Amino acid sequence: MAKRNVAIIGCGQTKHSSRRRDVNLAELVSEAVYNALEDAQTHLGEVDAFIVGNMQGFGGVAQPEQWLGDWIGAPGKPVLRIATGGTTGGSVGQAAYYAVASGLYDVVVAVAWEKHSDSKEPGATMGLTHVGFANFCHAFGHGLSLRNLLATSAVGAAAGVAVYQARFYMHRSGCRIEHFDMVAAKSRRNAAKNKYAHLQWPNCTPEDIAKTELIAYPFRYGHICPASDGASAIVVAREEIALKKAKQPAWFKGVAAYTDEENQLQSESFGGVGVLDPSEQMGCRVSAMRVYEMAGIKDPKQEIDVAEIYQPFPSQELIFAERLGLFDDGTAWQALERGETDIDGRIPLDPSGGVNATNAIGSSALQRILEAALQVMGKAEEHQVPKKVRNALAHGWGGVTNFVTVTLLGDTPAQRR
Amino acid sequence: MAGRVALIGYAQSYHRENMQKTREDMVFEVVREAFLEAGIRREDVDTVVSASTDFLDGRTISNVFLSMANGAFLKDESKVEEDGAFALLYAFMRIRAGTHDIALVSAHTQTSTFNPHQVSFYTLDPLFDRQIGILNDIAASALQARIYMNRACVSEEHIAMVALKNLRNAASNPYAHRRMPDVSLEEIMGSKPYYDPIRELTMSPRSDGACAVVLASEEKAYEYTDAPVWIEGVGCCQDGYLRDRSLERLDSLKIAADKAYEMAGVKDPYAELDVVEVTERFAHEELLFYEALGLCRPGKAKVLIEEGVTELGGALPVNPSGGALGADPICATGLIRVVEAAKQIRGEAERHQIPEVRKALAHGQFGICAQKNVVFILGG
Repeated sequence: MAKRNVAIIGCGQTKHSSRRRDVNLAELVSEAVYNALEDAQTHLGEVDAFIVGNMQGFGGVAQPEQWLGDWIGAPGKPVLRIATGGTTGGSVGQAAYYAVASGLYDVVVAVAWEKHSDSKEPGATMGLTHVGFANFCHAFGHGLSLRNLLATSAVGAAAGVAVYQARFYMHRSGCRIEHFDMVAAKSRRNAAKNKYAHLQWPNCTPEDIAKTELIAYPFRYGHICPASDGASAIVVAREEIALKKAKQPAWFKGVAAYTDEENQLQSESFGGVGVLDPSEQMGCRVSAMRVYEMAGIKDPKQEIDVAEIYQPFPSQELIFAERLGLFDDGTAWQALERGETDIDGRIPLDPSGGVNATNAIGSSALQRILEAALQVMGKAEEHQVPKKVRNALAHGWGGVTNFVTVTLLGDTPAQRR
Repeated sequence: MAGRVALIGYAQSYHRENMQKTREDMVFEVVREAFLEAGIRREDVDTVVSASTDFLDGRTISNVFLSMANGAFLKDESKVEEDGAFALLYAFMRIRAGTHDIALVSAHTQTSTFNPHQVSFYTLDPLFDRQIGILNDIAASALQARIYMNRACVSEEHIAMVALKNLRNAASNPYAHRRMPDVSLEEIMGSKPYYDPIRELTMSPRSDGACAVVLASEEKAYEYTDAPVWIEGVGCCQDGYLRDRSLERLDSLKIAADKAYEMAGVKDPYAELDVVEVTERFAHEELLFYEALGLCRPGKAKVLIEEGVTELGGALPVNPSGGALGADPICATGLIRVVEAAKQIRGEAERHQIPEVRKALAHGQFGICAQKNVVFILGG
């Protein structure tokens, strides 16, 4: 079947910080939407539909788009709410692609956000503990064995999963904690060049990060992402409109979100057989293969120019770069040592600073797509990579490390006439 | 692009007040049944779209432990955080985009876990209405009912007649949760009042339930079935926030329905549709739907119910399955309407079958006072 060419024609995001006290949730979201519409030279009347998403428990508002739809001009238009945990933003961006590619709509705005500071409890950490714990309580009511409590609670907060994952990766690849210092320092330095980023630290060195205290081995305080308030939005359009509106649209060349085994920590009684190594990430491998197949990419190591990887924890930049086929198994940390992943390196990873520097959870994975689009469009300003970007890869992970979204953007449409 | 998309299989659970099952078991069973009914194996599925919400499930990332139950291992998966009918729309988009051929849509809610009316309170404007604390979905719907009753000269009896029709229909639907074959108008009008004029039997019950649908592209559909049910039109629309919209009409449903009619080439819905399945969380909503769907002129909805036009044996039966008044597992309810409409087309509805159904309409909604609506036109 002939597929429709679809492109991103405008990007908008908000300044991220721990507390955006100057705006309420609705104002925060509309800030991103109107920035994107302005960038796309598009007015609200031309928008056919909205795709929205966040993690609704974190802000404490259920179905927030029903209330704040009025602020973004949604009334009278289709609004589809997508939420898949950490990958929410990626899923929202991909849904915008499908909405336009299906031929139902011509111009779609995708917007995702998180306002952690609205929550009384330390939103992300407590909220994520509910992932496993609430399900455990529910399942316990139906006779689930008590022995699973430990495993499901451990699944809970993101750091709980990430330390296991990092240890597995270190064991497998020979990477050391010093390499995580290097990734975190690189993220802080890159973020200093990105005016929207949260944790900015110009000239940050791995030694600076190494001085921070150890939270849970192998992670130091300096390794871990912040909890940010922020929103990001993209305007997605079909080919004819994209060519008219944008000098260089960022074309969707491949989208995939293959789900992995949910049982990442071998708890009994939950579905599946239990993945032994949570850094294995079969879902990410399969998604990347599918995306390269859709885009006709033979050798990702050569053809991908820049990648935005979802790395709230520094180990994940290395793990997922390998799983996305950008490096051989267990070698990403060596490339890091050689400076290949720096902003001016052979294959820059997270030139925006990534999730490690800015994490408004629902929005983070959409921000990866947005930042990849900025690189393709040449609009990344100070953190624009110093080379021609033909293919930019955007990644997201979430759930209990079992969800993944992979999106490939390019400077030419996937289907040639 | 623009290829047709068909329903090739579906299943729903026997909805109950408390299913006494984990969500995983409940979803697994309907998904397995839908696969069997469609004659496909898990390996044949390209993409999975589920529907559930974090608040209604009472946990963060409501689909995270359901990947296996949905058969989504190493499948392209996503979740729509509202009614399953919106998930069906998303799966429809994915197939039309030409990237996938066979999609599974699943939706569930266990209202026995967490009170859905409490959740509706959390959907209100957090800066104003929530602080005042007098509204929830029932209170807001009561206001809507009164506004509509005043505009269209509708009495409480008319609303009770809608409930009577749907509850009687539900009694012949084995999947429905509220089974009252001998219910009378007096019983409905004498049932427990919540917010005037909403009574226990003029609002939907709290149910546990799940529903699953298998969709296929035109090329694949005939490989698996001789009787595909085609999605001929779809429309979707969100209204303004509760305080910023006119409650006496359902503008968003009208926009959604017009879009669906246009896509399906339906000029006169009353004449062309053979059966209609709507998600009426409150009995009075069904009257508002008649008007918004263009089944009658503005203000004349009560005539349809007075004259029995929308009854099981009427000229245009609405909710022969009993609708949401029969069972309301929130996120699954809209998808169940689609399944019930498809069953009518295939002639599988048994005791509530309408003879010779060619075109059916199914409607799903989400939000307070039906703020968000999606309309599907199905054809055989």
